[in-house]
Amino acid sequence: MNDPFVFTLLLPLVGTMLVAAFGSTSHVGARITALIVSLVTLLFASRVTLAWLGGHPYEIDVPWFSNAAIDIRFNLGLDGLSVWMFALSALLTVTAILVSWEAIKDRAALFYSMLLLLETGMLGCFAARDIILFYVFFEFTLIPLFFLIGIWGSEERRYAAIKFFLYTLAGSMLTFLGLLAIVLWVYDQTGREQMTFSIAKLVAALGEHPLPLNLQLTLFVALFAGFAIKVPLFPLHTWLPLAHVQAPTAGSVILAGILLKIGTYGFLRFSLPMLPDATVTAMPCVLVLSGAGIIYGALVALAQGDMKRLIAYSSVSHLGYCMLGIFALNKLGMQGGALQMINHGLSTGGLFAVIGMVYERYHTRQIADLGGLARRTPMLAVCMLLFTFSSIGLPGLNGFAGEFLILTGMFQRAWSDAPAIYQATWMTIAVAGVFGVVLGAWYMLWLVERVFFGPLKEPGGHAPAPAAHGHGSHDHHGHAAAAHDDHSAIHDLNFREAVALVPLVVFMFWIGLVPQTFLAPMAPELDKVEAIVAKAYAKHDWKSVAKTEDELNHRDAEDAEKKTEMKIVNVVDQLPERGGE
Amino acid sequence: MFETKSLMVLIPALPLAAAIIVGLLGRRWLKEYSHVPVVLALAGSCVFSLLLLKDISNREPDAKQVGVEVTHTLWTWAAIPAAGVTTPQIKATPNFQIDITLRADPLTCMMLPMVTFIATLVAIYAMGYMHGDPGYWRFYAYVGLFVFSMTMLVSVSNFALLYVFWEAVGVCSYLLIGFWFEKPEAAAAGKKAFLVNRVGDFGFAFGLFLIWVSFGTLNFHDAGDVQGVLGQTLLANPARYAEIITGSVALAIPLLLMVGACGKSAQFPLHVWLPDAMEGPTPVSALIHAATMVTAGVYMVTRCSPLFMLDPRAQLVVACIGGFTALLAGLIALTQTDLKRVLAYSTVSQLGYMFLALGTGSLAGIVAGMFHLFTHAFFKALLFLGAGSVMHGMHHIIDMRRFSGLRRVMPWTCLTFLIGSLALAGIVPLAGFWSKDQVLAAVHDRAHDGGPFVYLYYSAVLTAFLTAFYTARAFFMTFMGPLVVPHEVGDHAHESPPAMVFPLVVLAICSIFVGITFDHSLGDFIVRTPSLACTLVAGEHGLEHHFHWDIAAISTVVAVLGIAIAAYFYLGDRRQINALTRIMQGVRLYGLSNRKFFFDEIYHVLFVLPLKGLAALSYLIDRWLVDGLVNLCGWIPRAVGAVLRNIQTGVVQFYALAMVLGLALLIGTLLVWKVG
Repeated sequence: MNDPFVFTLLLPLVGTMLVAAFGSTSHVGARITALIVSLVTLLFASRVTLAWLGGHPYEIDVPWFSNAAIDIRFNLGLDGLSVWMFALSALLTVTAILVSWEAIKDRAALFYSMLLLLETGMLGCFAARDIILFYVFFEFTLIPLFFLIGIWGSEERRYAAIKFFLYTLAGSMLTFLGLLAIVLWVYDQTGREQMTFSIAKLVAALGEHPLPLNLQLTLFVALFAGFAIKVPLFPLHTWLPLAHVQAPTAGSVILAGILLKIGTYGFLRFSLPMLPDATVTAMPCVLVLSGAGIIYGALVALAQGDMKRLIAYSSVSHLGYCMLGIFALNKLGMQGGALQMINHGLSTGGLFAVIGMVYERYHTRQIADLGGLARRTPMLAVCMLLFTFSSIGLPGLNGFAGEFLILTGMFQRAWSDAPAIYQATWMTIAVAGVFGVVLGAWYMLWLVERVFFGPLKEPGGHAPAPAAHGHGSHDHHGHAAAAHDDHSAIHDLNFREAVALVPLVVFMFWIGLVPQTFLAPMAPELDKVEAIVAKAYAKHDWKSVAKTEDELNHRDAEDAEKKTEMKIVNVVDQLPERGGE
Repeated sequence: MFETKSLMVLIPALPLAAAIIVGLLGRRWLKEYSHVPVVLALAGSCVFSLLLLKDISNREPDAKQVGVEVTHTLWTWAAIPAAGVTTPQIKATPNFQIDITLRADPLTCMMLPMVTFIATLVAIYAMGYMHGDPGYWRFYAYVGLFVFSMTMLVSVSNFALLYVFWEAVGVCSYLLIGFWFEKPEAAAAGKKAFLVNRVGDFGFAFGLFLIWVSFGTLNFHDAGDVQGVLGQTLLANPARYAEIITGSVALAIPLLLMVGACGKSAQFPLHVWLPDAMEGPTPVSALIHAATMVTAGVYMVTRCSPLFMLDPRAQLVVACIGGFTALLAGLIALTQTDLKRVLAYSTVSQLGYMFLALGTGSLAGIVAGMFHLFTHAFFKALLFLGAGSVMHGMHHIIDMRRFSGLRRVMPWTCLTFLIGSLALAGIVPLAGFWSKDQVLAAVHDRAHDGGPFVYLYYSAVLTAFLTAFYTARAFFMTFMGPLVVPHEVGDHAHESPPAMVFPLVVLAICSIFVGITFDHSLGDFIVRTPSLACTLVAGEHGLEHHFHWDIAAISTVVAVLGIAIAAYFYLGDRRQINALTRIMQGVRLYGLSNRKFFFDEIYHVLFVLPLKGLAALSYLIDRWLVDGLVNLCGWIPRAVGAVLRNIQTGVVQFYALAMVLGLALLIGTLLVWKVG
């Protein structure tokens, strides 16, 4: 009965070896094997998802490292928070493989192995119901992406890969310590019989034995370090544009589409339900950061000349919306935030894929080198336009549904349910969120206008980007005419590329037209989280908080780490006595 | 024959279906037959709209009901249980729910036939105008999509969906302005239109969210126990409005909605996109940028009348924006030499007239505004299509200085354009006369009390004079005088094909008769819209019909004067006008008008450049400050390592020394510790 679930997770892992076996001699074998594996995985993942939606969920629950004292379980299952991200992971992997089809010929077997390994990590991360298992999969996603960027990236790939790796690792270490501290607290409070790592049990136990506020705040900061870097929340975002620009297309698609969402997922899964009082205390800060990120990301995107970097900064802005919704801490905002996680995966994943296709044709990502591509590649332009419309929140497509709910939620929070001291600030943030939509349209439409509209302009020859600069942009027409021969091989969207993009477009319309299909399954789980934080919000003393918050601002992450460690040491000291009994 | 509800669905569904068919099959298979599905669908929609109109006009409101309305829910777009708002004024609304609900009421039923009728004619016209264009199928797909969005815009019964289709028509406009996307001006104009509209939408969205937090619903209609914003329960007891929204919010909501309306209907200060939008194909200018989409703002303000009624300051703002825009655009139109731009500014000006009428805050004013919207749609579409016909004959040259005397080669175009011009100028008994008279009368009524409306009235009369002048000027420059055609055209100047002349003739006939025919009946019909039937709007008296002889006399005199002066300057030799131009250039007034009061330049300096500067600055901060701090953190371990590396010299004596010193230090510390 559990077979599909096991298959979904094991297949990519097995596929890694298959790719290595079939692809050792040619890249053709590697990519075909990888495609088949990812398609079958998608099939199983859909079956698991559909079964869950149909009310017959699969679940795996096997003791892993389990004895009288400790209970780490290999526990996998879906719920409202994870179901869509789980399915999207499987879908976007297929897209990622299809967009790498021609681009990756060097060490292809290794490349596709890494991609499949990454898929295992992502699927596992969203399905894990045990903290240790979650963390294992969480770190599991880092290593393949590190290699994907470091080996197949562009010019500055090594620097980008190392920065990405160290930055996220540093954060996730703190997160892990924070999670362990929570486990130990619960162990300590529940009679020290068996140490549970099950997320559901921990949340339930914390409901009965909540952590004291000061400890919650410390742990919140620790968790925040990992998740906020992953999201990335302004001002912890600087690794992202670099990683995106340098990563191969597949890496960017997966990174934007799935990996960033592990951050927001982490907030919804751990920070909010486990540390509700700290969440409420930190809420004003996080809201300010989200609002600032929305405007700041959009402004910086406006100043970009590199297509990939522009989209990367737009992600900072869009993830700001996700965080804004989640930390509005009401149903509308949280549902909107959760929906926006899927939306951003589809639209930004699609945008990176399209830009990858442009790059494959012209070997440049510079906006200034290109123009009027709609004439040369009309269908590609149509796809670009659709993803752009989705990204700027055009009604009828998915982006609108998410942004609308988020902003409604935030307005509701600011206008009808805010403490007096923060009301003005929150109103400002809400309005800034609406204004971000204007800026979003500006930079995206500017990109489309420059690259796809206007007179045809193509970089000379198929030389790599630096060589293309020599041609400059003098006489458009003469240049275009001269370039015509060089570019006679440039073709419009081919069948493979269409297959990669069409599923994304279908889901974009589906979510845009009937978001209810996607909201309803998420609602029960999100409502539980919302109930927990709403309770904390209701009993929160906003006046005293103003003081605590000042203290919090002075504390940095390092302090938090020390305290967490100390707490762990205290509890661990007492471990053997009980264990021996 | 058809049920009301199926009619309501069919009207938007047909254009959508046609758009999808053409979008999917057009490029490969339909090609030069791409117009067939769209023209048929639009004609079908038009017929159904008329059937719906008949259906609704036959309904009498029963005693319990405010006005006439029929709603039809298709599916639930989003529903989040128990997520509603609670305010002290309204009892908790349990759910956040947005249904895809269509409505039919007199306001909707007035807009639908007008939109679909003009759209059908424009689609027929484009068969000739767009003939042979490589993007023929694309054009018809966009037009189908536009008509779908526009019919939905006027049929939806929810603010969120109104916003949805508000943006959707904006996208169609973006796509159609940038239809010839290879022209950089067209691509830039499309982007500009979209962005300026987004600024308006910012206001609209802001207002919408405020409505949500005040009313706890975005529905127009009542659904279950949720009382819609413009629903029967509230309209029957309008005193509740003042309880629900109080203080600054009561002013903020209408003003923010007005910002949205300013964007879509090209009112000051967001009027700058519409003239640039003339880069699109002319049938599009006629359909979207004259007759239908740009009137969405007027429609929305009318629909939300009860909200605007709550604060007289909001009404005054609407009236002032309208009056000012009307005058401003009229002044700019005086000196434009591009025929389409003259018409574009005239559209801006006439839309200003409509807002001025709505801003009077009286039922007569609102009805006058809607009536002017209705008549304007016909004669302005006619004028644009006429200009398109000229462009077609002149090989896409539209600069009036380069041709004249075209009445000889384009008799039909000339005649129909003349009718359109007279209608626009407000000459008895053409369409514009009747509606302009109602608008002026409504403003005049408010001017009795003194205050700003006195000035608004005089400015409206002045605008009427300007309108007559620039319209006549355009007509004389284009069609009168000696025959001159641009050298590119050679002797190929010709009348347009029948597909283009037929819509011109139909619209010309309409421009003659719609004013006198619907002078009273249109008003009597739309006051049965719930939003307008509510006592808050309708007041004590309801709608009364007077014919205002005094105002009719003034407006006629002014219009004739305008035409006469234009005739004096532009017929015969042009010495006087050239002299006048030089004088105006001397006192710098000519350039002010000709360069559109430098709004584009001012906005560029005031908004675009600072934002771009801010963007560049943010990027610098991002690279050097934010990322710099991160790199600094990254450097700390490395720097520590670098320092420590120096100690590892490999000299054993140094290690021994270090050990001894370290031990000494440790013991010393311990001793101090113990002793201390």
